[in-house]
Amino acid sequence: MPAITSAVGAVTIVTLNHYLALSGVVFAIGMVAVLIRRNVIVMLMGIELMLNAVNLAMVAFAHYRQDVSGNILAFFVMTVAAAEAGVGLGLAVNIFKRFKEVNIKSFEHLKG
Amino acid sequence: MDLSTLLFLVLSFLIVVFSAAVVILPNPIYAALSLAVTMISLGFMYFLLQAYFIAGVQLIVYAGAVMVLFVMVLMLFDLRKEIAAFSGGKFAGLLKILCGLFFSGALVLAIRQGVIALNVSPGEPTPAEQIEMVKSLAMRLFTQYVLAFEALGILLLVVAVGVVAVARSRGGTHASHN
Amino acid sequence: MGHDVFEITINSVKMLVIFLLMVQLVPVLVWVERRGSAFIQSRLGPNRVGPLGLTQLLADAVKFLQKEEFLPEHGYGLIFYAAPILALIPAALAFASIPLSAPIHINQFLWNGHSFGPYDFEFQSFHFGVGIVYVLGVSSLGAYSLLMAGWGSSNKYSLMGALRASAQTISYELALGLSLVGAIMVFGTFDFSEMIHFQSQPLTSLLGVHFNIPALNWGIFYQPLGAILYFAATFAETNRLPFDLPEAEGELVAGYHTEYGGLKMLMFYIGEYGHMMVGSALMVTFYFGGYLIPGMTVEQVHNLLGTWLHIGANPLAIVTALVLHVVFFIKVLFFLWVFVWVRWTLPRFRYDQLMDLGWKTMLPWALANVIITAGWMLFKGMH
Repeated sequence: MPAITSAVGAVTIVTLNHYLALSGVVFAIGMVAVLIRRNVIVMLMGIELMLNAVNLAMVAFAHYRQDVSGNILAFFVMTVAAAEAGVGLGLAVNIFKRFKEVNIKSFEHLKG
Repeated sequence: MDLSTLLFLVLSFLIVVFSAAVVILPNPIYAALSLAVTMISLGFMYFLLQAYFIAGVQLIVYAGAVMVLFVMVLMLFDLRKEIAAFSGGKFAGLLKILCGLFFSGALVLAIRQGVIALNVSPGEPTPAEQIEMVKSLAMRLFTQYVLAFEALGILLLVVAVGVVAVARSRGGTHASHN
Repeated sequence: MGHDVFEITINSVKMLVIFLLMVQLVPVLVWVERRGSAFIQSRLGPNRVGPLGLTQLLADAVKFLQKEEFLPEHGYGLIFYAAPILALIPAALAFASIPLSAPIHINQFLWNGHSFGPYDFEFQSFHFGVGIVYVLGVSSLGAYSLLMAGWGSSNKYSLMGALRASAQTISYELALGLSLVGAIMVFGTFDFSEMIHFQSQPLTSLLGVHFNIPALNWGIFYQPLGAILYFAATFAETNRLPFDLPEAEGELVAGYHTEYGGLKMLMFYIGEYGHMMVGSALMVTFYFGGYLIPGMTVEQVHNLLGTWLHIGANPLAIVTALVLHVVFFIKVLFFLWVFVWVRWTLPRFRYDQLMDLGWKTMLPWALANVIITAGWMLFKGMH
């Protein structure tokens, strides 16, 4: 696999694998954010991070395969993510008004 | 090392460091600002990947609107001192972080195994070529994917109505009119 | 960037010069603002330092430099100090991608014993094919500096101003972007240079009257409503009167920059005037022909200057570009003067009126403009 600083030293090409690895790392960080944070808004930010990681992978595929379908999918994901952030923030604002904090525990009260 | 490699290294460093900061920083406002830096770096990385329109949309929608909304809501709540930023006990937290590390390690290893040899046209496209790329994207969007595009429009409408219904408050500046 | 040392050097110097051009126009604009307001209100304005008070800003700069440096007691140091710097970046990045004059073609020449190949220099720092999308994306980052200034100074008035400012910027960005969509459809491109190329064609008919004026195919004749909506939205984007709610001094002391003084305050000023410059430059590029002289194409200007001045091809290309650059800046300065004029003429809106105007008036009109333009283009069979 051609690396950024390979043993030869002359090969300095960024390949698809580099972008995919970066995307995987960012996805894992987003997952950890959702797992260990309690603040609902920070958890939403973790979800945004994961969506962005997937977007990066799709745009990288689109570039290296010379196919714009990946870009179109990334465009759709962005739009849906914006909508999702709107809904999530709306819910968080309501929870904050009721309980004066945005801890995920407050969402337990949503059950019937 | 050419310019695009250098840019890739700088941007990926920024992305990893600031997305890690989203997890680590206990103050949610700093976390949101770090996420904004991540989004902006990703936008410039899309320029590097020659997805010019997507890069612009990333900057306008994500960095310019969604993240500003996050920061605004956090500042409105004024959550400076958060009592319990992280969940669970020490052991569970460690397990979760290890889980994340394992997951990312497994992903990177799997990607290292699979060499996907793909050819890319070398060099930066001229502005006219960039416009042609955007035009081909628009052609696909409004022919092959037009149904998904319309569905997305309906989704946005439904979400707009739903959010107004959820977050509506009695009172405020428009209270006297209705 | 370029292929040899000469080209890379010129391109780097060009980037620096365009940035300095933007920053150095700010003192002139502040002078215009102060003298202009005095003119409108029938008073004298600053007229003691230098001829016509022109060096007043130099004296002000010295004063700004000597101010005490302080951090509010419960302020957040990092965010407080980062905000003014971030205020400068979006405007500078956006301004750098707008073509300020015609491209310069340099023929092969000999210098110092070396032959330097033919070059094509563009009068802009960098040229993106998706110019307008990039400019909108970068200038939408301006909200962060306001939010950070408001929250970092740990002051109720600052925070209120910052929240008002960011809500206003997000709301009007929509109307602003949509008002430009009609023009983008007519031009059929995102690229500023292509837009100016479109506008350099002769105008043949207007409202059924037929004539033939070269280089007057301006966007304003195709998109009058879009131009009005765009210019109105620019006022809200730059937080200028009549939409200067974020810094309404009657209600919020000074809004998000209440706690700032000295050089940090000056940085906010430069950011605001930079946004005004970007707004005016976009207005000129989209609707008023960019650097074109009405009635004369770039070639005609080039030939006319060639008959007047008997110089070589390379200096002639440079002189032509500089003349067109001056034309561009005259147009931009006119719109900057309109900014000042409106500021000292119209009263301030109330905040709910501002939001109503943005969401209930300008957005529907901008959408209608897009639909009408699309229908008209379909009817005419354009593109």
